[in-house]
Amino acid sequence: MRRAPELLVIWVPLLLAAAHIVVFTAWTVWISFTASTLMPVSEFVGLRNYTSVLATRNWKIAFDNLFIFGGGFVAFTMLTGLLLAILIDQRIRGENVLRSIFLYPMAVSFVVTGVVWSWLLNPGMGVQKLVNDLGWAGFRFDWIVDREMAIWTIVLAGVWQAAGFAMALLLAGLRSVEPDLIKAAQIDGAGPLRMYTRVILPTLWPIMVAVLVILLQMAITTFDLVRALTGGGPGIATQLPALVVYDFMFQRGQIGRGAAAAVLMLLTLLGVLVPHALFKYARRRRAANA
Amino acid sequence: MMSVHRRSVLAGAVGLMAAPLGARAQAAKPRLTAISQWSAGSDGAAITALGKKFEERGGVWQHSPVPGFTTDMMNKLRAQIISGDPPACSQLKGPEIAAWSKIAPTVNLDATVAAAGYEKVVAPDLARLHKPGGKWSALPLQVYRTNTLFLSKRAMDKAKADKIPTTWAQFNELGEKMKAAGVPYPVANGGARADDGQKFEAVLAGISPSVYRKAIMELDDKALASPEVRAAFAQLRKIADWMDPNTAAQHFSVFLPRFVAGEMGMLIQGGWAQGVLLNGGFKLDDFIIAPGPTDNGKPVFVLNADAFIFWQRKEADLQAGQKLMAELVMMPEIQTMYSQITGSIPVRTDVNLSGAGWSAGQVEAARTLKEAVAINQSVLSLAHNMAQENGITAAMIDVLTEFVKNKAITPDQAVKRLGEAVASAR
Repeated sequence: MRRAPELLVIWVPLLLAAAHIVVFTAWTVWISFTASTLMPVSEFVGLRNYTSVLATRNWKIAFDNLFIFGGGFVAFTMLTGLLLAILIDQRIRGENVLRSIFLYPMAVSFVVTGVVWSWLLNPGMGVQKLVNDLGWAGFRFDWIVDREMAIWTIVLAGVWQAAGFAMALLLAGLRSVEPDLIKAAQIDGAGPLRMYTRVILPTLWPIMVAVLVILLQMAITTFDLVRALTGGGPGIATQLPALVVYDFMFQRGQIGRGAAAAVLMLLTLLGVLVPHALFKYARRRRAANA
Repeated sequence: MMSVHRRSVLAGAVGLMAAPLGARAQAAKPRLTAISQWSAGSDGAAITALGKKFEERGGVWQHSPVPGFTTDMMNKLRAQIISGDPPACSQLKGPEIAAWSKIAPTVNLDATVAAAGYEKVVAPDLARLHKPGGKWSALPLQVYRTNTLFLSKRAMDKAKADKIPTTWAQFNELGEKMKAAGVPYPVANGGARADDGQKFEAVLAGISPSVYRKAIMELDDKALASPEVRAAFAQLRKIADWMDPNTAAQHFSVFLPRFVAGEMGMLIQGGWAQGVLLNGGFKLDDFIIAPGPTDNGKPVFVLNADAFIFWQRKEADLQAGQKLMAELVMMPEIQTMYSQITGSIPVRTDVNLSGAGWSAGQVEAARTLKEAVAINQSVLSLAHNMAQENGITAAMIDVLTEFVKNKAITPDQAVKRLGEAVASAR
């Protein structure tokens, strides 16, 4: 009898949460195989929605962009975050203030980030105009209206937003490195560079994997940032999968195709999460065997 | 405590009993629940004025605007239909009327329309859109021409030009002249998707309205791959080369001051731009309004129309409200009032525009509509969701907007991509 309340506390919310995720996911998968347009209907059409989504240029561009944006965003956020963390780890004065400043962008909504950066990057009124007005008339910084470079403006704004978050996690990791290890390395005569590359960073990598996975799923589900920064343009050059899903479902009245695009996104996410879960499982097994 | 409790229960019970009585007492009074995207500016003012007329005739006007794009309004409409509580009347336009009337029952307006003798004063293409399955279930409210050419007076002066271009060749000549005279961007542009689509439709309809009808409205594969469509892409490339590249998804109203100042020469926009220009404090002699160029020398009208669709309701007061609303929307004096506020032209081709309150541009557009309908050169706008359902429209505009932004795409490739986009969206 004593266990009943405990069971309730654990299982009721768990089942509710699971039902929300599983039922709606299953429903979306089902809808993706139907001829739904304005309203969900149950006429089965097999893979037709998938073939037609995969054939659209919108989806192709979105998927290519996902790799450019995902790769660029994760790599530069990690690098910037690590650099900031290492610099702050030097026991500097005003650490708390700096840490707050670097973490602050995370408290800003992606929509705000997008709008502000869209002004800064607009060649007619932002950074380019400022530098031009200062006298460097030939200065060009028009990535946001350049089809090839526009996706990098989203990387830029995304890194600005998330680097502080990566820094906070990595800093916690740096601080948890065994002091004895560092002392031992110092006694052995390791310089600061060697200390980081050979001693500290190798102990940090489980945290790095965690940061990597969080950033990757952020990248895959990015929507508001693009919407506010470029609106998918110029043309359709900065489409991302989440925008395509929204477009199909709520702008074009093609719910079946939107659901198919959403399922394709889910599969991409699983491509990130399943290896991560396997990796964690393998580590635990190794730890248990040791 | 106890007595208070009992009294409130009693009051509640009386209230419950009184409620149906009150409803029954009001049943005779027509009531209309309506949703639209018109919340502000001249659109908001016009629908508010319409509501006043509705109230003057003893109705209860319950309008809930959903600001934003038409699609945002549609999402609310979808939610209301799914929950079994559609509005008595909602804004909806073009082929979406037929698509949506399949998912929820609509009101049959045939008797009301026949009583008003409305059908013979509406353009046939337009009438067809509003009677899916042969029955009137929606009513057009106002008409806009999307292939209207606005010329900046100062850019014309700079180029020492005074002739209004009537063919695309003359349009190109004027563009070259402006460029040579130092007008930095002979064509005005904000970079929004619909604007790119609108330029294409103005060009293709101007080159050949009959090919436009076959390719864009009927999605005929042969017409979609025709030399006329290729020529339209080539002309669109010329136009794109004359636009300011430093713009990203701006609304066209943002660059109107630069247009009036002569920094941009020609603007291809709907008739509504006139209202926006005047609202922005500019004068009628700052710009010239002309019909879009047509190569066959006869009037071409690319048509965009707003409309109301009526959803079936059981309540007697709502049904009375729907009838009253339908009668109002068809009246010449109501259409006159509405169009004079928004800058559109009336749906009825028999409204006399010689009176006060009409601009020269509106008079010319209304005359062009009448002439174009008579020779079957009035076509439905693609960029404004009149020619196709949203899914196909969006897929086609994807191709057009990418073509405008990416100068590496050749007209031949664009023709191929347009065909592929249509095939995959169908």
